[in-house]
Amino acid sequence: MNIGTIRRSLTVFSLTALAAAFVACPASAQDDAVADFYDGQVVEMYIGFSVGGGYDTYGRIVARHIGKYIPGNPTVVPVNMEGAGSLKLANWLYNAAPKDGLSMGVISRGVPFEPLIGNREAARFDASKFTWIGSTTDEVSVCAAYTRTGIDQFEDLYSQELIVGGTGSGADADVFPKIIEGVLGAQFRLVSGYPGGNDIEFAMERGEVDGRCGWSWSSIVATKQRLLDEGTIQILLQLALRKHPDLPDVPLVMDLAKTDEEREILQLIFVRCVLGRPFLAPPGIPPERAAALRAAFDATMKDPDFLREAATMRLEITPISGNEVQELVAEVFQTPNEIVERTRALLR
Amino acid sequence: MEVVLTAVDAAFWELLQPERMMFLLFGVCIGLVIGILPGMSGIAGMALLLPFTYSMDPITAIAFLLGMSSVNTTSDVMTAILFGVPGHASAQATVLEGYPMARRGEAGRALSVSYTAAMLGGLFGALILGIALPLLRPVMLYIGSPELLAASLFGISMVAALSGSAPLRGLVAAGLGITFAMVGADPQTGTLRWTMDTLYLWDGLPLLPVALGLFALPELCDLAISRSAVSKVPNLDIKAGMVQGVRDTFRHWFLCIRCGGIGAAIGAVPGLGGAVIGWIAYAHALRSEKDAYKTFGKGDVRGLIASESANNAKDGGGLIPTIAFGVPGGASMAILLGAFLIHGLVPGPEMLERNLDVTYTMVWSVAIANIIGAAICFAFSGFFAKVTMLRYTLIIPVIIVIVYVGAFQASRDWGDLYTLFLFGVLGWVMKQLRWPRPPLILGFVLGDIIERYMFISVGRYDLNWLFHPIVAVLLLMSLFSFVRPLRQNIKAAGGVVKMFTGFRKPKFEKADIFPIGLFILFVVLFAQTVNWEFGAKVVPLFVGAIVIPALAFSLLNQVCRRHPPVQTEPQHDAAEESKEEVSELLHMDVASDHGELSMREVIRRAGIYGFWLLLLMALIGVVGFVPAAPLFVIAYMRGERREPWLLSIAMGLAMGVFLYLVFDQVLNVVWPPTLLGEWFPSLAFLPSV
Repeated sequence: MNIGTIRRSLTVFSLTALAAAFVACPASAQDDAVADFYDGQVVEMYIGFSVGGGYDTYGRIVARHIGKYIPGNPTVVPVNMEGAGSLKLANWLYNAAPKDGLSMGVISRGVPFEPLIGNREAARFDASKFTWIGSTTDEVSVCAAYTRTGIDQFEDLYSQELIVGGTGSGADADVFPKIIEGVLGAQFRLVSGYPGGNDIEFAMERGEVDGRCGWSWSSIVATKQRLLDEGTIQILLQLALRKHPDLPDVPLVMDLAKTDEEREILQLIFVRCVLGRPFLAPPGIPPERAAALRAAFDATMKDPDFLREAATMRLEITPISGNEVQELVAEVFQTPNEIVERTRALLR
Repeated sequence: MEVVLTAVDAAFWELLQPERMMFLLFGVCIGLVIGILPGMSGIAGMALLLPFTYSMDPITAIAFLLGMSSVNTTSDVMTAILFGVPGHASAQATVLEGYPMARRGEAGRALSVSYTAAMLGGLFGALILGIALPLLRPVMLYIGSPELLAASLFGISMVAALSGSAPLRGLVAAGLGITFAMVGADPQTGTLRWTMDTLYLWDGLPLLPVALGLFALPELCDLAISRSAVSKVPNLDIKAGMVQGVRDTFRHWFLCIRCGGIGAAIGAVPGLGGAVIGWIAYAHALRSEKDAYKTFGKGDVRGLIASESANNAKDGGGLIPTIAFGVPGGASMAILLGAFLIHGLVPGPEMLERNLDVTYTMVWSVAIANIIGAAICFAFSGFFAKVTMLRYTLIIPVIIVIVYVGAFQASRDWGDLYTLFLFGVLGWVMKQLRWPRPPLILGFVLGDIIERYMFISVGRYDLNWLFHPIVAVLLLMSLFSFVRPLRQNIKAAGGVVKMFTGFRKPKFEKADIFPIGLFILFVVLFAQTVNWEFGAKVVPLFVGAIVIPALAFSLLNQVCRRHPPVQTEPQHDAAEESKEEVSELLHMDVASDHGELSMREVIRRAGIYGFWLLLLMALIGVVGFVPAAPLFVIAYMRGERREPWLLSIAMGLAMGVFLYLVFDQVLNVVWPPTLLGEWFPSLAFLPSV
């Protein structure tokens, strides 16, 4: 290596360093601008459900911790804006909320797909345009049956009907069995209208229904471990895009699809499990603030205090970043029209 | 048995530690404040307090939360008795007896009866919880959806009792209530029923604005019309009244226990909800107490005792399924369940074995909270009861604002305010025309429960559910409660034939506009069901098929049985009149009594009151909730009676500060957008603009 080369490399190096400094400078200036903006402000964390439910619990715990990771350390206050299964909040965030980065929220994982497979008139938003902040949980939902029925694996459902409880049109516990029946041919008898998941569990215990399809694995672990240990219930199928590490031997719904069309329908429905508890902000907020909110969310998910509190509350935390959610939602909205129409027909 | 007694004993001493008692007391104080504020529910209180309990030990945390939730229904009688404003769903039946008592100067007695009954009911609920816990688990497994359905149908059959002398009107009102309950996305098919293209109505009409509209606004309106203080007696001896009230309650101890039992039983059944408890206990008292038909609705302490003892017994009952199965007996129990999990308590058999002492600290917490709660209420009541002696211009503006804010807590949407106003108009018209309102609210509360469990029962058991033993018994009981008044009615009319004959030439009066309007409303509503899916329209159509003929028949009776003006023989007239007197006795609702005011003057004053209500809504729309409150209070006080400027401004500002601190700062309420905020975005720093 001669001196010339060294000198050249040095020049290149210093130029690179200089360039890096230039790039870095505006970045930190941007950070300052974001911090200046949020300093002393109040960020509102809208929760699309009333006080006391699962989404509310997640919304509140994130609101308690995310403030310290947003530049400028704004105060974050949880605000409940319930209505129409959080569709009201989604519409409001899209159409009416100020697009300044001071409003964010958490909505039902099914609501983003409402314009595709739900009520198209009522859902007034394009879900792929929201600013997705991230999700606290990559949820795995399951189909479970009481073993008193003699059903202990998914194949049994081809020859024997399972009576499952549902909470009402559009809810996971109603949508999932309909889709599995329509796509895979398993036999369910859906008894729907229970006020909530707890009521289905009680109905199972007293023998009114024998199973539930659309039951979050983490909540089974938190409250019904006893039933698993005693062998009272059996997990038949897991509903997500990927298997849960706890359940290596339980079949995954995606693996049961025989054709591409089936796979696409299943993907369209079960992608919501990955979305878990999706946090979002209105579309079109300044990009540097969007980036700051996403970074703050990711940092919160690693915060020891947050994790300790979540553990005492027995909340599962398996975070998904905002970018991932954004890509997933965009991908789903590329689903061909005939698949969407077939899925709609199955849900009817 | 000995194990249980040891646990009971250990639990008592566990709870008696100073720190735990302090938190229990603290919880009780918060709970009492929440009870007084209309619209603030124990549920919201629990959710707000839950994070503060993380660092406590389980027994302290649960004592704190239960202390708060056990006494909401002790203090919520204050607004119900003093102003006729049911701040919570549970206090509706309380209004019916408590407010008339306050109006005749017995506010102190009414409050004292309520607190004592609430305390006894709460203690009895705790006792039932304590005794039943070890035994109840197997029994509860017999209570399935068909049983819930039958229980709700039995609840609806109470309409017959609550309709007094007007069973047809009661039936129509109940049908109207059920119809209103059907509004929203139906749980079976997702069909949007009567939502008028608004998202607001997707979840159905919320209970609180409906109840406040039906009961609170009309009472305030009549107060505004009479232009008097709430209490018609100028100088009351509140102390004597309070002593009397305690005595009253102990004299009716058996009623207290019966209604406490009803409250605990309904509270223990998950899925029925607390809103009906007061009414069912009230209806029970109405049927079982001597001569209740003559005095209920006019300020009878027995009605108060029934509703209050049942309401406070509810929490003890609600804990049973929460502890034994992890199935919350109500929304606030659902949050308590969350607290269990946080503290590592898993509901189910474990709570009845290994953690039995923790479980019994809950029993003690409920019992002690009820005693402390009642004691605190007693201490402050003298002061509160005096409020009934104040001029109406000092009361009405403040209470109207509180009613609006309370209604707005339901879904924090403009829709709440429209609902409040429309049901206010409906409630006032019903009250003036002597249409019973309780059946309407009962139908409204039970309507969607019945629909829900009917679909589950039929979907699961086809028609076999009808033969479940508990179902059969409950259905027979409901049938009986419908048949009894029907038979009396037929008897009064002089036989079935006479009931359907003897109509005279129709003679219309202005008051007939209301039933005719209702008739048109029903026809229009049910015409819209044509295109709905079967699952969405079966219950509404069933209701329509009963209500429309009932309404038609009631209208026919009203229009075609009016006594002709002069030509009839006097004897017959006297008979008719005495019959009318009887029906006055049986009218089951707070009646309007405008004394010597002419109809014209009554309507004029009601119109002024309506104007004030609309003005407040307009102010909220333009400048926002918090600034609107002082402006409205000042405008009302100056506009109605030329109250001194200083007093008006002071009251107005106090109101504004109160709203700002409690609802804006502590509760972080989302206020509706305002025109002012839209025109001048720079003013957004003002609260609620």
